[in-house]
This record gives sequence, C-alpha cells and structure tokens, in this order.
Amino acid sequence: MIEVENMYFRYDGDSKPTLIDINLAIEDGEYLAIIGPNGCGKTTLIQHFNALHLPESGTVRVDGIPTSDSRRVREIRRLVGMVFQNPDNQIVGMTVEEDVAFGPENLGLEPREIGKRVVESLEAVGLSSFAKRPPHTLSGGEKRLVAMAGVLAMKPRYIAFDEPTSYLDPSSSRRVLDVIRNLNREGMTVIHITHDMDEIAAADRIVVMNEGRIHQAGTPHEICSDVERLGMLGLGIPKATELLWKLKKRGEIVRTDILTIEEACDELVARLRKGIPDRSLRKQQEEPRDV
Amino acid sequence: MYNLGQYLPKESAVHRLDPRIKILSIVVLSVMVLKARGLEPALLSLFLAAAAFAGGVKLRHVIDALRPLAVFLLILFSLHVFLTSGTPLLNIPPGISITREGLQLGILTTWRFAALVTGASILTLTTTPSELVSGLERLLRPFNRIGLPSHDIAVMISLALRFVPTLLDELGRLRKAQLARGAEFSKGSITGRVKASSSLVIPLALGSVRRAEELARAMEARGYERGPRTYLRELRLTPADYAAFAVVIIFLTGLKLV
Repeated sequence: MIEVENMYFRYDGDSKPTLIDINLAIEDGEYLAIIGPNGCGKTTLIQHFNALHLPESGTVRVDGIPTSDSRRVREIRRLVGMVFQNPDNQIVGMTVEEDVAFGPENLGLEPREIGKRVVESLEAVGLSSFAKRPPHTLSGGEKRLVAMAGVLAMKPRYIAFDEPTSYLDPSSSRRVLDVIRNLNREGMTVIHITHDMDEIAAADRIVVMNEGRIHQAGTPHEICSDVERLGMLGLGIPKATELLWKLKKRGEIVRTDILTIEEACDELVARLRKGIPDRSLRKQQEEPRDV
Repeated sequence: MYNLGQYLPKESAVHRLDPRIKILSIVVLSVMVLKARGLEPALLSLFLAAAAFAGGVKLRHVIDALRPLAVFLLILFSLHVFLTSGTPLLNIPPGISITREGLQLGILTTWRFAALVTGASILTLTTTPSELVSGLERLLRPFNRIGLPSHDIAVMISLALRFVPTLLDELGRLRKAQLARGAEFSKGSITGRVKASSSLVIPLALGSVRRAEELARAMEARGYERGPRTYLRELRLTPADYAAFAVVIIFLTGLKLV
C-alpha cells in the first residue's frame, strides 16, 4: 500500500507549493487513474511515490517505509517502478535487452537471473524478437514498451505510468494500454496519469487534481457523472458518455452512466430494438391507404 | 559522421573472441606497428590481412574506413617525401628534391597510420559497441583499487554511444525547423554560416542538458547508484580465447626476434 498523508511539496525557489495537503491511499492491486489539467502536479505527485521527490511536510509511505528514509531508497525504487513520459530519455542501453537489464544490474543480481528477467519482461510486452535491436531503430510505441519492460524487470509491486500513450498512434496506444491492463489483471498495482478520458474507464478509481490539490476522487462512474465540473477544469468525459449526454439533452431517454463504446452500443441497440416495432406498426397502418 | 567501421553482424571466429582479447591484441599490434622496421611492415600487413579474412571483413570495409583519411595520409606522405634531407633521387626545380630517405620514411609513416586505422576498424567491425564497453570495463576493473571507477566509466561510455543517434536525429529536426524559418546553412559568407550554425548548436546543447536531467532521474528511478553493479553478460574467457591470444602474442613478439 502507498499512503500519502497531509503532504505538501514546493520546488526549490518557488513561493507557491506545487502540491497542497495531499491525502491518498493506494491499495494493493488497485488501478488508479490520475487526471487533471497541465501543470496541476500529477507528475510531481507520482514522483513522490519512489522518492524522486521528498515531501516538504507530511509523509509518503510505501509498504510502511517512509520515502524520507534515505537508507531504504533502493528498496523503495525497486517496489515502485516508474515509466516516464518521454521514452527517449529513459532508455539507457545500446540494445533493447541491455536496457531491460539495466535495472536488475543495478540491483546486483546474478547474470543468470538478469537474463531470465530480460526474457520474461520482453515477453510480457510482446517485444521478444527485438532483444538485439538498438533503441533508435524502434517506433515511439515500441520505445514505450521497452521502457515498460525495463521497469517490469525489477519486479516492482507498483508501477506509475506518466501519460503512457501521449504521441502514440491508435494501434500503439492500444498495445500499451493492453499491457497495462494485463499487468493489473495479474495483480500489479497501477497508477496511470492520463488526459484521455476514454482510457480511464478501466480504472478502479480516479483522482482528479487541480492546482496542486486533490479535487475529487471516486469511481469512473461517479467522476463522469459530474460533466459540468469536469468541463470547468478543462477536462473532457469519455466519448461514449458525451454521446449519451447529448442525446439526453435532445430529449431522448437514455442512460448516461456509461463510459465505454461497448456499453453505449448495448444501450443504443436496446433503444433501437424497442423503437423498431413502433415504426413497423406505423408502416402497416399507412400501407393500406396507399393500396 | 566519421566512424571507424560499424559493427558487421556475422558469425566468425574473430566475432566470437572475447572483446578483452581483441582489445589487448590491438594494443600489442599498435606498439609493434609503431616500432616496425625493415621487413616487419610486410609481415604485420599479412597479419592484419589474415585477421580481416578470419573476421569476414572485406577489403571494401577497410577502404571505407580509410577513405575519409585519404587527404590526411597524402599530406603526411608528401611532408616526409619533400622535407626529409638525404640522397636526392629526383630534383624538381626550384630547389625541391625527393630524397631516398624521404621516400622510405613517407611510405613507412603512411603505412603505420593506415595499419593502425585498419587494426582499429577490424576491432569495431567484429565487436559490438556493448561488447567493447564491457571488455574495457573488465580490463579496467583491477584499477578500481587505485580509484579508477571502471563501472562508472562503462556506464558513461555506453550512454554516450547510445545518445549519438538520438542527438543526430535532433540535429536534423532543428536544421529543418531553422530552414523552415528561412535560415541558410550552405550559402552566404563564412560569418553568416557560423551565425546560422549557432542557431543549431545552442538549442542542441540546451536540449541535451534537459535530456541529461531527465535521464539522470530515470536512471535513479531504476536504482542506479555509482559503484559496483552486476552485468547481464559477464565475460568469460574460453580455451579458444587463450589459444588465440597466445598465437597473436607469439606471432607479434616473434617478429622482433626474427
């Protein structure tokens, strides 16, 4: 469990704190999404989880270890993996497999164990055949997956992803999201920063941040039910929800607590099926007149 | 960009050799090349040719490595030919002569330089950069005790190599961005061109600093600390490595005794 209590943080030289009174507990196995406008402190917050930043006041604890305990920083960094926004600036190896090996090498593991972890991690992200490739020959999506494999090789309990699909084409995004969802299904605790509201439907809980504070937290349904408030923060809602909201505004009687295209399809199909008998009845009534 | 010769992915006896053996052999070879006299250059050339053949390196690859240095080699040769005093072979008026000693020295010096480059390019053609780095790290490890941080040096070199293509990409992007805004890099006066290229160098340098900060953070997040670490591939010397090294040393030092 990652626990944040009454945490404040300020960058050196800033007069205003970047994070204000943060209280948050992330349960094991949870899929937590963090959303919020640019500059609201999302990235700064997750970089507290692995002691890259230390709070000015308040505490951050990972499995009970305070991140301020400098002797146990290595342990915390092993527990909490982090995938940064720009994969180009986090790949250190001259080949894919060397990059994935970097973390385990830092942990001082045996070569045989490192090799095993490299194979397993590349398999988990579907890049087994890329082991010997130099990183600059990979596509943006593949680089992102290499960065993820590098984190997986450290066998963390928590992984924080900072906008893992930014700048990716739709099919690469889907690949990255599939890997994240798979990891969570297998028990990994996932913290996922995003701007894309369609990505968060799979989350267990959403934290909405604004101006350094946690503005709101709740299930995707709870968060998306307050469309006006999200709009005020400059955030959207999932496309499916937006569609149903617009239909409702025009007077259609539809459910609006829907987040995914699939659910929206079911809802609309159900509505259409109900509608079709009416129309065919009307037709039958009209036909005799034509004859 | 000039490179000695980019790795040729092949399966050869030379490729399979431990990088430490290759690096040490090159060091010994270089000393021999610099001290070569009389018939030795011919024998050393033969040795280089044999090594290249065993490593599947073609003449073309060696020429590719030497070509960018052609002008330099020519100047080196001419300087020796024209500026060495001795028995004149040919007098070109006014007062310039080609001497016997000059010709000999010119050929020898040019050969030495070409042989060194050829040796180094055989090394880089048959060894991946990562093998080279881990070979170097392993060779430097005994010096840890006197304060030479071999692990950190290895990480530094491999990061530098890793980021060469990334920075070249970035340079290309900056160039296009500046061209799109009307910059001229290949026309105009020298001062104009220097000014134009500063519009590439400054953003590239600033970008690199930012990149380095992010990289340092990412490395920290992955548990990097200075000092000893383990490696995915720990180098191990095989009997074949010992045998190859023995052959190289016997051949190269044997030359001196002949």
